[in-house]
Amino acid sequence: MDCKEFRHMVTGDPSTAEGEAHLAQCADCREFVAGVNALDATLERAMQVSVPPLSMPKLPEIDNSNVTQLAPRLSRPVWLATAAALVLAVFLGGRTLLVPTEYASLEDEIIAHMAHEPYALQVSDQAVSESRLKRVVPQTVANLSSETGLITYAQSCNINGHSVPHLVIQGVNGPVTVILMPNETIDGASTLEGNGFKGVLLPVGSGSIAIIGEEDPEALERIEQSLKNSVSWST
Amino acid sequence: MNASSAARRQRFDKLVGVYYADMFRYAAWLCRDRSIAEDVVQEALMRAWRSLESLRDDGAAKHWLLTIVRRENARYFERKRLETVDVDDLTPAQEALIAEEDSDELDTVREAIYELEDDYREPLVLQVLMGYTTSEIAELMGLKQGAVLTRLHRARHKLKDVVEGGENAQTE
Repeated sequence: MDCKEFRHMVTGDPSTAEGEAHLAQCADCREFVAGVNALDATLERAMQVSVPPLSMPKLPEIDNSNVTQLAPRLSRPVWLATAAALVLAVFLGGRTLLVPTEYASLEDEIIAHMAHEPYALQVSDQAVSESRLKRVVPQTVANLSSETGLITYAQSCNINGHSVPHLVIQGVNGPVTVILMPNETIDGASTLEGNGFKGVLLPVGSGSIAIIGEEDPEALERIEQSLKNSVSWST
Repeated sequence: MNASSAARRQRFDKLVGVYYADMFRYAAWLCRDRSIAEDVVQEALMRAWRSLESLRDDGAAKHWLLTIVRRENARYFERKRLETVDVDDLTPAQEALIAEEDSDELDTVREAIYELEDDYREPLVLQVLMGYTTSEIAELMGLKQGAVLTRLHRARHKLKDVVEGGENAQTE
């Protein structure tokens, strides 16, 4: 891939992971990418038009007796996992497994969410692009720096009705999941444990941060401090 | 209201609470008029309410709601075309989109985005503001991914000069 092809691709999709090899060896194109990211940051600010208060229209009554809720369309791995879980339940004595739709606590929802995106926890040395990171973690949520570590996964996820950044940082002991929740006020720190995951849920000012997968206290402390320094919400 | 109706309403309110701002901003940039955007969103909310059961997975709610907004926007302009004959009577008279962040530099950029052709503005808004991937944009707009990439490339190319011009003017 030459510079022309690379630049054409990046101006179409700045978050593309293609062309990393070219980027690693071309300082001019790295500067070009920085320019495209700066342009996108300006465009995003310009597009943030103010939103009027929600005025819900008068919604008609729906006769639920004639309405059938469509079953969620399951992808093949989910279908297989569900089938395996049912077989296991029968094997263990016929206990019924129910998929919770309402979680008992924020901790339960975070642990359940971890199981939804297992591919995020791959060991990797490929950082997500800067533009993707900016898109997933807006400046109003946090300003992440290289001090935070190598971020290899960034996705906006729904936790308790809010779209929040779900990140994976390659820690010294393996991949560490971080979920930044500016809207979740909690009284104190708590433990996250379940489905083979262990972590902590920490109060940070008016929000909270979940850190999962790092059990070494010193490494955890470093990540925690770095994240606390980076968040933009009221601390 | 029985328990299942209350649960249905609760589900709807929760989804709308999370995605209403995205719905409005997408509508606003599609039609470039705040009052039309408000009408389009109202219609979209009604349609979403009636067809809530077709949303299988609440995790896909954003895409589902924005698709409804897109269709309602098209319906709005189709109705106006039939009523007024000339759709151009509508589009030039749009009131300014009020920005959250007040800045002359951003006003210039906003105006440039506003002036972009629909074919370029929509995928750009979906990618930059809504966080859509190019394949998701292609699916929503019924285009091939290559066509989306080309439109995004051209849109950024058109806006780059405006943004850089603004920066140069500020430093002069």
